[in-house]
Amino acid sequence: MDDNVKVQDREATLEELREADDNLRLPAVPEHVSYPIETATPEARTQTPAVGQRAARPDGRLHGLGQTKYIDDLSFPGMLHAKIKRAGISKARIKSIDLSEAEKMPGVMATLVGGEIPVNSFGPSFQDQPLICEDMVYHAGDAVAAVAATTEQLALDALEKIKVEYEPLEPVYDPIEAMKEDAPQVHEGSSNIYSSKVIKKGDVDEAFKTAYRIYENTFSTQMVEHVPMEPHASIAEWDGNGRITLHSSLGRITLGRADIARVLELPINRIRIIATVVGGNFGGKNEITTEPILALLSKKTGRPVKGVYTREDEFMSSTTRHPFIMDYKTGVDKDGKIVARKVRLVCDGGAYCSWTETTLGKASILSAGPYNIDNLEVEAYAVYTNKTMTGAMRGFGAPQVCFAYESHMDDIAHDLGIDPLEIRRRNAFHEGSSSPTGQMLHSVVVQDSLDMAAERFGWEDRKYEA
Amino acid sequence: MDVTVTVNGETKTASVPPETTLLKMLREELNLTGAKLGCDVGDCGACTVIVDGIAINACLMLAGQAEGKTIQTIEGMASLDSYHPLQRNFEELGALQCGFCGPGMILSAKQLLDDNPDPSKEEIQDALSGNLCRCTGYTKIVEAVADAAREMRGDKQAA
Amino acid sequence: MKRKGKGIGCMWYPIGFTVAANPSAATVKVNEDGTATLLTGTVETGQGSLTVLGQIAAEELGISTDDVHVVSADTDTTPMDTGAIASRTTYVTGNAIKLAAERAKDILFEVAAPMMRVKPEQLEAVDRKIQVKGFPQRYLPIGEVALQAQFIQGQVPIGSASYNPPTVEMDPETGQGKPFSTYVYATQIAEVEVDDETGEVDVIYMAAAHDCGTAINPMLVEGQIQGGISMGVGYALQEEMLFDENGVQINPNLTNYIMPTSLDMPDIDVDIVENFDPTGPFGAKGVGEPTAVPTAAAICNAIYDAVGVRITSLPATAEKVLKAIKEKKANEQKQLAPAE
Repeated sequence: MDDNVKVQDREATLEELREADDNLRLPAVPEHVSYPIETATPEARTQTPAVGQRAARPDGRLHGLGQTKYIDDLSFPGMLHAKIKRAGISKARIKSIDLSEAEKMPGVMATLVGGEIPVNSFGPSFQDQPLICEDMVYHAGDAVAAVAATTEQLALDALEKIKVEYEPLEPVYDPIEAMKEDAPQVHEGSSNIYSSKVIKKGDVDEAFKTAYRIYENTFSTQMVEHVPMEPHASIAEWDGNGRITLHSSLGRITLGRADIARVLELPINRIRIIATVVGGNFGGKNEITTEPILALLSKKTGRPVKGVYTREDEFMSSTTRHPFIMDYKTGVDKDGKIVARKVRLVCDGGAYCSWTETTLGKASILSAGPYNIDNLEVEAYAVYTNKTMTGAMRGFGAPQVCFAYESHMDDIAHDLGIDPLEIRRRNAFHEGSSSPTGQMLHSVVVQDSLDMAAERFGWEDRKYEA
Repeated sequence: MDVTVTVNGETKTASVPPETTLLKMLREELNLTGAKLGCDVGDCGACTVIVDGIAINACLMLAGQAEGKTIQTIEGMASLDSYHPLQRNFEELGALQCGFCGPGMILSAKQLLDDNPDPSKEEIQDALSGNLCRCTGYTKIVEAVADAAREMRGDKQAA
Repeated sequence: MKRKGKGIGCMWYPIGFTVAANPSAATVKVNEDGTATLLTGTVETGQGSLTVLGQIAAEELGISTDDVHVVSADTDTTPMDTGAIASRTTYVTGNAIKLAAERAKDILFEVAAPMMRVKPEQLEAVDRKIQVKGFPQRYLPIGEVALQAQFIQGQVPIGSASYNPPTVEMDPETGQGKPFSTYVYATQIAEVEVDDETGEVDVIYMAAAHDCGTAINPMLVEGQIQGGISMGVGYALQEEMLFDENGVQINPNLTNYIMPTSLDMPDIDVDIVENFDPTGPFGAKGVGEPTAVPTAAAICNAIYDAVGVRITSLPATAEKVLKAIKEKKANEQKQLAPAE
């Protein structure tokens, strides 16, 4: 530009702007994006060797700037918004679904029911979960219909207009009740006990006979939710070659792609899933939820469709942590060393299997605790109930059993008059210990962790008034 | 209805239905997606923005109520020259993990430091108590706010 | 009256899936200036895995964390990954990345060896250099080698690999087998203060000593431990999904589902129990889930230490604790009564 032209001479007056060509329209709301020139890289990121560095995260910078685009921040031309109608009843047969009122609403572009889904079932172990319920509802958060509309509010309003007639059936909520022979079947034609695991090592019955003392107790835990700050979200979009692209908060995209291929009857290479930015998972976003529903709504309307769970959907309709009921029986010698342990775990498996098999498997192995036990018997059962489905959540049953075996350990310590730290030292795994499944353990540092935590805490020195 | 607000120093107008929240208006009409929708009922604080100097939940304010007000969102914290000390400290201490609570957290912290440049740890925890975070356990966030406060006080002394 | 107590929670936790195959694949591409791009199918959910995986690739190639750009989570462009689940990413995906980076590095060594008049086995990648082991004065900058490889020799330094932890299936009758390749161990010790008139429990301090094998990024490990403890505090004392008699949730919202805020957090001291697991990438194992496991146990043991009541069902709400305290007092009165 010519340096001799003054800035004031380049500015136009308001009148001049108004008189400018009508077709020259300035954007009413220019996008405001900050790209600070200061782009210094934190030192730890530039050091070698890389392992051991307290390297800051590049996405951490973008998060702090507000530049990270989560799924709900993305927008595509012509995009519709989808919402899902929830059953609100925990066990029922669906007699009829009337979508006519909803479909008449201006702005409602498509609806979807279960019968329109090519293969309406999925699940990591058993494919017992429908995307949208067709004839039976198994828990109050089950999906019964979906709507795509031009705004989120319209979609939510349309859900209210969908009329569903139910024939209530007999539900069961308590897992111990559900295990009984005469309990109502949650899924017709199959036992409520849908998975079981057994671990047997040594001979518990004989070993209990030799124990100095035997302790028994029952522990139970509650159902909790992951509460990721970002709710489940996805956007589905097709191209002219019949390829679907899904922007999703899924944590397992390879599995998700396989599930979607199966549900929609598509070859795997026609499906693209992008999950580059997720706002927290903790296990709750590890399987498909609405992706196939959005894909079908998108196909019906020829437009991209975004579906975001409301916070209520997050609680009612996404997986939760299994409540456990845990019976522990432990025999010890007079020094507090465990000679035998018997565990029974009953896992409230919710309405669908989801990740219960994995949870049961892990929990049964971990239930003995990080302790040397030669005689062990663990029996674990997963039971269907008509409540929100239970699935993967940070720990897969470990927090539940840890609460039980550690509380139990302290009860034993107090009864025998042994310091809780000391009793653990006497029992803890060491290098080469045999696990409950007979595995020889390596890189075992239980003792080290006990010692380090105790020293940091000041275990010996912190004493309180009785 | 037309709503005119001053956001991050710029005056903007949007045309929205009356039931639109300030959060929706910022995200959908003004393309400022930094404020997040976490619950839409004012429980989680992910939508926190600063309106006339006070950090509020944008999902609880109707767009119409924001008419004529001055709003600061996360996008207005950094300038072309540099990051805000809060943003720099959050990054260096690893205070943000998934980042979803980040913008709200940083704006709540900014309001605290605007009112109280030398807060105690308890005062920081209290100021952030309306912002839920599931990833970090808050520890590094509180440290980052304290470090940023120190830095901001240091800058003032130097000047 | 407020009473303090201390309690220990000790735990072990496996890395990876129970017996089942859970592979991860990765591709490492070295650019012609010695920086690199890593392709991984894993999903960054906030835990910082991409940074850690980048550090593993960087370490193998002898470059810095910032020299590696990580591309993730696109089924069209990134290799398959079983997912960010079961605390497996650092270990399984990390091992795949280390192997992939090694293959790319081998190509660089093959190109560099004749340039330095040595055999490829004599070379190592350190500090952005390809240098001779035992005689580091003879070296070439990695950028020079990469340029030579790609544009002069026409040998592109790219490597792909996959990894699956070795397991042995479990016997259906006895459960005996080798379900996981490795485990991590940890202890958390809690100090609580219980108000014996209201039952309210305040977690004041937590000492956490966690094993993660080699800590690839100690800052991120601390973040995981602090985050896990916050979930543990909520699990122990506050969180609960409540159902009415029709199986419908009473509190499906954040108003009535109580979870920890910044005010509920204890002071936390973190210790990383450093050890080297030879089966993990540079000795690393994993840390994501274990951090939330022992917290509730430690807190409930501390409650017992403080007021002598054993809570056997979570959460240990103020109502439950107070009820237990009152029952304990009533039992003590009964035991005293016969003596009078």
